[in-house]
Amino acid sequence: MALRHDQGIVLRGYPFGEADRVVVLLSPNHGKLRTVAKGVRKTKSRFGGRLEPFSHVDLVLYEGRNLDTITQVSMIEPFHRLRGDLERVIAAATMVEVADAVATENEASVRLFLLLHRGLRTLDRTGVHADLVTSYLLKAAAVVGVAPALESCAGCGRSDGLDRFSFEAGGALCERCRTPGAYALRDGLTGYLAGVAAAELDALPAADDAFTGEAMGVARRFLEFHLERRLESLAVIDG
Amino acid sequence: MFEPPVQRLIDELARLPGIGRKSAQRLAFHLLHVEEADAVRLGDAIVAMRREVRLCIRCFNVTADEQCSICRDTRRDPSVVCVVERAQDIPVLERTQEFAGRYHVLGGAISPIEGIGPDQLRMQELVRRMDDEGIEEVIAATNPTVEGDTTALYLARLLKPLGVRVTRLASGLPVGGDLDYADEITLGRALAGRKEL
Ligand SMILES: [Zn+2]
Ligand SMILES: [Zn+2]
Repeated sequence: MALRHDQGIVLRGYPFGEADRVVVLLSPNHGKLRTVAKGVRKTKSRFGGRLEPFSHVDLVLYEGRNLDTITQVSMIEPFHRLRGDLERVIAAATMVEVADAVATENEASVRLFLLLHRGLRTLDRTGVHADLVTSYLLKAAAVVGVAPALESCAGCGRSDGLDRFSFEAGGALCERCRTPGAYALRDGLTGYLAGVAAAELDALPAADDAFTGEAMGVARRFLEFHLERRLESLAVIDG
Repeated sequence: MFEPPVQRLIDELARLPGIGRKSAQRLAFHLLHVEEADAVRLGDAIVAMRREVRLCIRCFNVTADEQCSICRDTRRDPSVVCVVERAQDIPVLERTQEFAGRYHVLGGAISPIEGIGPDQLRMQELVRRMDDEGIEEVIAATNPTVEGDTTALYLARLLKPLGVRVTRLASGLPVGGDLDYADEITLGRALAGRKEL
C-alpha cells in the first residue's frame, strides 16, 4: 500500500462509523477526493479542526481500496474569517456546493480548484461584494463548458438587441432568435452580467443595486438548469 | 437475501445511525441466538421508550412529562437560555454544573450545503419564548463546526433585534492538552477569545 501527497480544499464531511469522518475535498491534481479521517470525532484528535469545510490543506494519504485514509494534515490556509458572518458563510457554502456538484473523481481539476481557491480567498480577505457569487457561478459554468452567451446572441451571434434569455439555448437571444421559453430581461442586464462574468473575482466593478439581485437570479437559475440540481446553499436563508 | 423475518430485522437495524449492513447482520444473528425473554425485553424497552418519552413542550428536551425536569425546576434562572442542537447535548452541559438557566433544543443545525435552513429547526418556537419567558440572554451552544457557527450567527441576527443578548460558547484548547497538538483554527480562536488575568 502506498502513501501519497496531495492538497485540497475541504468541501464537506460526514460521520462514518463510530468515530471517523468521511472528508470530501477538491484537489487540483485528482479532482474530488473521498477520504477517511480516523478518530477525528473524538475531542483528542489532533486534526479534526483542520478538516472542516473551506480549509485548504496539505495531505498525506494512505491509499485504500475504496477510500484513502488521511494520515497527516497540515494547514495551508484556514480561511477562518469565512465563518465570521452569515453572508460570508452562505457565499462560501455556495461556492463549495457548486465545486462539489461539478467536480469528478480521479480527474485533474486545476481550473475548478483555482476558481474555488480564488473565490474563498477573496471572500476571506475582502468580504462579500454583491456580485461575487454571481461572478463565481458564471465562471463555474464556463469551467464546465456551458458559459452563457452574454455579449452575442446564442442563436445567430449578433451583438445588439439582446433582450431575451434562454437557459436551454445557452444565454442571451436577439428578437429574431427568441424561443417560446425565453424570457425578457431588464434593459442592460446582459451587459451587466457580461461585465461581472469577465472581471476577476477580486477586481469586480462596483455593484449596481439596480442589477445585482436579478443578475444573481439569472446566474443561479442558469447554473441550476445545466447542473440539473438546485443550489441549496442559496435557498437556506431567503428561499 | 436471508429468510424474510431475518431480513426484516437486518433492514430495520441497518437504518440505525452508525450501523452498516455488516453490523446489522452481525446483530441480527446474535439476536437469533439469545433467549426469547431477552429478545422480548429488548423489544419492550424500545416500544416503552417511544410510548412514554416525549418532548418537553417548552424546550423540546426529552421527558416523561409535559415539561422536562429542568423546565420544572423553579430554582433555575428563566432569563438565560442555552440553545443546543440536540437533546443529547443537555446532559453533557449539565455535568459541568456551570449553567443554571434553561435550554432550547433546535433539532439540528443550519447546513447550507445540505439545504437545512432555519425553517427546519425550532427557531420560531425559540423566538416565541423570548417574550413569554422574559429571556435576556441566549447562549449559542451549537457545535464548533461550520454548521454550528452558521446557526449561532443566525441566532444573533434573529434575536438581537428583540433586545436579547446573544453569546457563543468560547472555543479553545482542551484542558490537559499540549499546545503544539492544537490545530490552527482552534488555537486561533483560543487567542481571539483570550482573557485578562
Ligand atoms: Zn439571434
Ligand atoms: Zn424543558
